Amino acid sequence: MEVTQKTISRRSLIGNIGKGATLAVAATALPSPVKAAVDQKSVHYAMVIDARKCTGCHACSVACKAEFEVPLGVHRSWVEYVEKGTYPNVSRSFLPRLCNQCSEPDCVSVCPTGATYKREEDGIVVVDSDLCIGCKYCMQACPYDVRFINPNTGTVEKCDFCLHRVTQGLEPSCVNTCQGRARIFGDLNDPTSEVAKLVATEPVTVLRQEMGTKPNVFYIGADHSDESDLRVPGQYVRVDTHRPIQERR
Amino acid sequence: MLDLNWGLPVIGYLFLAGVGAGAFTVSSSVLLRGGGFSSDHFSVARYGALLAPIPMMVGTGLIILELGTFQAAIANGDIGLFFRWINLFLTINMSPMSIGSWVLGLCILVSLIYAYTFLSKESAPDDDKKGLRQALAWVGIPLGISVAIYTGVMLGATPARPFWNSPVLALLFLISALSTGVAGILLLRALFGGHNPSQKMGTQSESANAPNRATYLLASSDSLLIGAEILTVFLFIMFAHLTIGNPAQAVSIILPGGELATLFWVGVVAVGLVIPVLIELRYVIPTLLYRQPYAMPRGVEMAVCVVILIGGFMLRYVVVVAGQLTGPMGI
Ligand code: SF4
Ligand code: SF4
Repeated sequence: MEVTQKTISRRSLIGNIGKGATLAVAATALPSPVKAAVDQKSVHYAMVIDARKCTGCHACSVACKAEFEVPLGVHRSWVEYVEKGTYPNVSRSFLPRLCNQCSEPDCVSVCPTGATYKREEDGIVVVDSDLCIGCKYCMQACPYDVRFINPNTGTVEKCDFCLHRVTQGLEPSCVNTCQGRARIFGDLNDPTSEVAKLVATEPVTVLRQEMGTKPNVFYIGADHSDESDLRVPGQYVRVDTHRPIQERR
Repeated sequence: MLDLNWGLPVIGYLFLAGVGAGAFTVSSSVLLRGGGFSSDHFSVARYGALLAPIPMMVGTGLIILELGTFQAAIANGDIGLFFRWINLFLTINMSPMSIGSWVLGLCILVSLIYAYTFLSKESAPDDDKKGLRQALAWVGIPLGISVAIYTGVMLGATPARPFWNSPVLALLFLISALSTGVAGILLLRALFGGHNPSQKMGTQSESANAPNRATYLLASSDSLLIGAEILTVFLFIMFAHLTIGNPAQAVSIILPGGELATLFWVGVVAVGLVIPVLIELRYVIPTLLYRQPYAMPRGVEMAVCVVILIGGFMLRYVVVVAGQLTGPMGI
């Protein structure tokens, strides 16, 4: 409940006085002990993808398409195939992809209208499609190419961890459908949650860590090989993105 | 065209905003300083002032075409989406595009009023609009420079696009804006120079030579600017190339063997920089060293201006496309 209220007030305020002023008002209105309590209570949603359990069945991509009626040719979530090696030493692995809900999101810092913002209450990065003008600056800034223009609305969309489901206590649709239980979703701030335990105990990796956006989608056993590794002599790598854009960008 | 998020409208916008901002800055500084143009400085400033707002406004119109909401508005006939870009001006934040939009809007406004003070054919250095004109020129210099720089900063603020993510880019765009702005003014003078008001004044003996003197000064400062631009292009390539990893990988797209190498070396470097600077120097150096009268034929002058403008466009084209064709290496 509190969550929806916050969103609405933010939307209406932003039009008038802008983000900085909104934050200033919020900060001065709350006595600091109360604020600290809110911080502690806040949720930090994250996802762990165990690539060892992924079979590349695309059930998550399909569930996502259905959940949001994602138009043809664009994807909120997709699965890449990575093939590498030289016969007989070959491997094939699968890399499910989605928005990383980064802790230092570049998409947020470039958005000129404040349409893209990171929710303070749970860390999910969302696009307010009433504010977005479709300037595509965020699409240039995201190092993971997870954003696209919805051809029907002209505004930018991307994965939002199924905000409408998780605020109702449900799992994201892709997690719900994953037959290998490769996708695990939860609150990183809750030490008893499965994601928190996995991140603490497994050798997790994130994609393009050097970009410094601090992703909140963690991978176990992911193959980080890329076609740019072809520059290493004798190394064969083929990536199939299953998107109209065949290259990773 | 290629599958680019930012295509020709953005490229055209970056180029036109540069020409307009450059012309505004040059016009303002010539008006305030005189800059050795003697009695002719006013006519140079006038051409710059009348030119400046036009490319900036056309460019702004172009960039609206690239907005997803605008395209959806046309595709679906949804009127409400047409004016979605207003949202840019309902807020301001630290995004380079947000700051840039406000600065650009302000710059167009100021340049329009500035152009208005020159509009009348009878306008003269000491007419009743002098005070307003000079005040606007003082604002015009920083505003023009800000617009020219912001286009580079906007592209540069994206670590995910290693080709753009270079501090040299903003400098490159600034110099290119100034040089294409000068070319725009020179071109206008060459086209309409016959009717220029200062020539009618013809009272002082030097004013007979004044149009030549003004073009000489413009052409020589332009060759200086192009020289600086060549140096900046060199720095841009060297710093990226000498880095290990993403920037080196990205810049290789314009180096020999890269996908955009021909376009860059022929379109930007040869056509846009080397050829015009050589032609300009061919006419400037005799005057500079041997005090010979400066006499660049009008046709040559126009041709030089046109290739400089083409080069400026090609620079934006190659940069915008290269930035989107390259990305971080690995995953
Ligand atoms: S993955 Fe891209 S879109 Fe998602 S939060 Fe990070 S920078 Fe933004
Ligand atoms: S496309 Fe929309 S969400 Fe992205 S930067 Fe522009 S206004 Fe913000």
